[in-house]
Amino acid sequence: MAPLLDAQSVTKIYRTGVVEVPALHSVSLTIDAGEFVAVMGPSGCGKTTLLNCLSGLDDIDGGSVLVDGADIHAMSDARRTEHRANHMGFVFQSFNLIPVLSAVENVELPLLLTGTRSSTARERASAMLERVGLGHRPTHRPNELSGGEQQRVAVARALVSEPAIVWADEPTGNLDSTMATTVLDLLREVNAAGQTIVVVTHDDGIGASAQRIVRMQDGEIVGASAERLTASRKQ
Amino acid sequence: MAALIPVALLALIVGLVLLISFDALFRPTIRRLAVRNVTRRRGEAALVVLGSLLGTAIITASFIVGDTLGASTRDIARTDLGPTDEVVRIVGLGRGPEIAESLRTPPIPNVDGLLELVVSGAAVATPDGPDRRAEPVAQVVEVDFDAARAFGNDPGVTGLAAAGATPTGDEVVIGEELADKLDVDRGDSITLFAYGKERSLTIRSVVPHVGIAGFGSPNVFVPLGTVRALAGPAAEPAGGSTAPAGTDDSGAAPPASLVFVSNAGGVFEGAKHTASVAAALRDRVEGSPGVEIRTAKRDLLDDADANAAEFTQIFGGIGAFSVIAGILLLINIFVMLADERKSELGMLRAVGLKRNQLVRAFGMEGGIYSVLSAAAGVIAGIGVGRVIVVVAQSIFNQDDPQFRLQLAFALEPGTLLLGFIVGASISLITVWGASIRLGRLNVIRAIRDIAEAPATGRRRTRSMILGALGIVVGGLMLQSGVSNDAWFGALAGVPIAAFSSVSLLRRLIPLRLAVLAGCGTALFWGIAVFSILPDAMEGTDFPAFVTQGVILVAAAVAIVATNDDLLSGVVNRLGVSNRTLSIRLGFAYPLARVFRTSMLLGMYAIVVFTLTFLSVFSNLFSAQAPKFTREASAGYHVLVNSNASNPVPAGALLAHSDVVAVTSFQRAFPRFTTDFQPKPTNWPLSGFNASFLERSIPALSDRDPAYPDDASAWRAVLGDPTKVVVSDFFLQGGGPPEARLDVGEPLQVINPLTRERRELRVAAVMTGDWLFNGAMVGDAFATTFFGGDAPTSRHLVAIKPGIDADDAAARLEGALLQHGVQASSVASEIERGLGQQESFITLMQGYLALGLIIGIAGLGVVMVRSVRERRRQIGMLRAMGFQSRVVRSTFLVEAGFIAVQGIALGVVLALVTSYQLLTKSETFGDQTIDFAVPWTSITVLFVVALAASLIASATPANQAARIKPAVALRIAD
Repeated sequence: MAPLLDAQSVTKIYRTGVVEVPALHSVSLTIDAGEFVAVMGPSGCGKTTLLNCLSGLDDIDGGSVLVDGADIHAMSDARRTEHRANHMGFVFQSFNLIPVLSAVENVELPLLLTGTRSSTARERASAMLERVGLGHRPTHRPNELSGGEQQRVAVARALVSEPAIVWADEPTGNLDSTMATTVLDLLREVNAAGQTIVVVTHDDGIGASAQRIVRMQDGEIVGASAERLTASRKQ
Repeated sequence: MAALIPVALLALIVGLVLLISFDALFRPTIRRLAVRNVTRRRGEAALVVLGSLLGTAIITASFIVGDTLGASTRDIARTDLGPTDEVVRIVGLGRGPEIAESLRTPPIPNVDGLLELVVSGAAVATPDGPDRRAEPVAQVVEVDFDAARAFGNDPGVTGLAAAGATPTGDEVVIGEELADKLDVDRGDSITLFAYGKERSLTIRSVVPHVGIAGFGSPNVFVPLGTVRALAGPAAEPAGGSTAPAGTDDSGAAPPASLVFVSNAGGVFEGAKHTASVAAALRDRVEGSPGVEIRTAKRDLLDDADANAAEFTQIFGGIGAFSVIAGILLLINIFVMLADERKSELGMLRAVGLKRNQLVRAFGMEGGIYSVLSAAAGVIAGIGVGRVIVVVAQSIFNQDDPQFRLQLAFALEPGTLLLGFIVGASISLITVWGASIRLGRLNVIRAIRDIAEAPATGRRRTRSMILGALGIVVGGLMLQSGVSNDAWFGALAGVPIAAFSSVSLLRRLIPLRLAVLAGCGTALFWGIAVFSILPDAMEGTDFPAFVTQGVILVAAAVAIVATNDDLLSGVVNRLGVSNRTLSIRLGFAYPLARVFRTSMLLGMYAIVVFTLTFLSVFSNLFSAQAPKFTREASAGYHVLVNSNASNPVPAGALLAHSDVVAVTSFQRAFPRFTTDFQPKPTNWPLSGFNASFLERSIPALSDRDPAYPDDASAWRAVLGDPTKVVVSDFFLQGGGPPEARLDVGEPLQVINPLTRERRELRVAAVMTGDWLFNGAMVGDAFATTFFGGDAPTSRHLVAIKPGIDADDAAARLEGALLQHGVQASSVASEIERGLGQQESFITLMQGYLALGLIIGIAGLGVVMVRSVRERRRQIGMLRAMGFQSRVVRSTFLVEAGFIAVQGIALGVVLALVTSYQLLTKSETFGDQTIDFAVPWTSITVLFVVALAASLIASATPANQAARIKPAVALRIAD
């Protein structure tokens, strides 16, 4: 079976004026459907850049990224955006909720984007909020929620459209240990249900929960980074 | 109390400047924070300055308009009077030398010269032929040119420096204005018509419109003795000025001897001696009938100063709406700056910066913006002032020389300084007010970027106390306004109490209802106060309209902002697509940011309110031309004015084949005083006879209840020399009547020649005075009171059915040229008056449109800052799959939503208020005007304002659309 994500020789260079800073050096990585992958490494090693390039948030300078068999960097910006809406969900360290929308409105946004009827979108968003433990706070706006609650809304938003892959960049970075555990449990739970998750993290706890750890250093995947953890370790 | 406000403001500004200076010198931390925040993002600092400078530009421009009007009007002292400060006018020619001698000996202190002249009116034309040109109202002047050049101490300001010797034989010297109109030059022939005679003369030279040569222009300088020869017996009216008009049954005004008096000092400085010199002149002519002393220079300079002040007030008043929009923009900018730096501010407080230091740092930053924007605003104001002067010149370029004014752009250095100080002060007070409000932040909430908690405990108690205090103050203001007939208390008292009541009501009922009750009351009062308290609101001017606009807009914006969330439900029912998503998000931001949205709505609404208000009145008056014509014409069709020295007899008009009826008026230009105008003021007077009432009764808006109908009132005035009919515009300047005479009130009429006074009572008030008849009295009174100084020189003519009134007017002018006939249809006279009124309103609308630019620029600035503020959110939306065009549309929808709401609010408020003013109040006098909505103007305003708003928001919307998700998210993560 073809991998869900197949990245080959991905290169990324940041340019500031005449200065060029290589961020990714010919990185190759494949991720199968249903995997829980943790991308780990020291600060500045290129973890977030890798996530941005593999998800199509950022352009690449070389190589290719196939998601579900489609080369996302060969697509136009509009097509790639549409592809993201249909196949991907995102969770970030800073939650990045839309402050002027309530919790349920934030969660239903991806559904509305893909053309789901309003009433259906609202039902599914409410159900997803229930699932992340926030069924009682659907009308609260982000600034009325705690950090952990906001991140759970963000997770709900990433999952609600049942994307092929969820990208999470330091999802517990802004949370205390209790909240971090709650969010991590949530990610584990949805992964167990078959959801593919790629997490960029410093958190060893998340690394320990992942099926596979991709270790990066200086823009490259290093060591035994591509090793697949055994099912027993995962458990 | 009101007088203390400027003093308190001045003290506040001085205090703020001292505080900023102290911090700049001795508080390096505050200075560093303020300066570095200004220089941190220079582009955005430039936007702040740009958004703030328009207020100063508008203030400076209104001062410059005043300067220009003042300087241009004062320049008439040079062009029309030159060295002449006072004019002694003696009816007839016989007594001139004798009275001049009595003035000359012994010398009057502070007088450096006397000059004798003889003048009479005349019509002038080029020789008969197909291209014949004519000037019906010219002045024939006899003066010794050598004596004229020696008059005063500067031949250059006499206008006759290069005119050579006094004309002799068939020579004539004419003014440049007349030469232009007749298209003649040296060597050409012209014909004079006066007193039923005509005389052909050859032009020897053309003199400039300056000084003596410009006095009473257009002038014809003729050989000495010419006037006596033309006037014949009319040169010596029996019994001086009290004689019946003319002595040859022609009704002609007799010629006059003039003695010009030059005071010590130059053209402008001599006027300071006018009071003492005029008193001495009066002493010398005491007991001589038919002698008038005119303090020409002093009156002219006083009028110039009054004109300048009036125009500064008009443009300052109109500009006030734009300045308020500028203030709202400034507040909005500072609130956004504070929002953006909230966590920074929290950190500064956390590391030990005291609240007052935070305020001072913010205030100093605002002070820097204020100074920069005021300096830039003064420069922009010079440009705006220039544009206004150019447009105003086209309005003042009238056919009638009496109302023509050559504007020369002028500005005083003090004006620029004043504009700078006022502009900078308004900005400074605004930003300090905003800073104090913003300094009250909760450190933890600020650092964590969490919304401020609702008011509890002390804050809630304080707000309730302030609310109660506001209700008491508002009640006292209302009571004071009603008992003293003072507009401010009457207008603002109830709204202040109503706005204040919201903080109390919200403890009892939901906020939505509390705002609706409080602000709804204020809104109702703002609209209806002119009907509820007409006495207190009588004579209100721009400050009242500005206050009313602020009250209405504040109340309406508060109600809309509190209920805007109801729109969310409507929007959420829209179907689902990328387009509707952008609509939902585009609405979500302004609905969530209530304060910002309110400020923007206020900026739009207050300017659009005034623009629409002006459009309503411009449109109404234009549309009423047929009605005004019907009311003013009394069943006649053509207005005929003729030269006072050779007035056209009614019989000559009746003999014309187009004419079926004529009614004649005696015309005089006496002085009047009233309770509201104690200074003697020149205004026309028309003596009518019974034929005026034969075809149709001129419309009256009010009459003494003793008269059962309008006709009875007119007939009573005709037969009673103590009664008069006036209009609401009697003794008024521009704009709505400030104070007016009501039925039964007295006025004093003064004969300038005899200095005799007579008290008249107002028997009725006319609906308007588009033909400028002035005070209407019976012809018997005009004859007995003014004698020869009220010639029968004006007529209304009825023409045969089927003949065009304008064509008939042209034919009458051609046929009766020798009488200096100026004829025009009543309809065209009214259209001309309305056209000038409309032009002036258009000029004010153009000026006010600057305020709209502030609103639109403000929206652009807010959008630019919103893009920066929402970069992370935009990145997230793009990551989730929002197309860039959806992001762009979201910003455009947001801008459009705010603009449409603001414009609609302003339009609706203006329509309701103007309807109320026109139909339910006496604010615009007793004119009966039918209300109509100016749909075309409103549509144009709506489309242009909305399009400009979208264009202003297009750049930030495109910036937002171009944001790369990874870049935006990298900023955050």
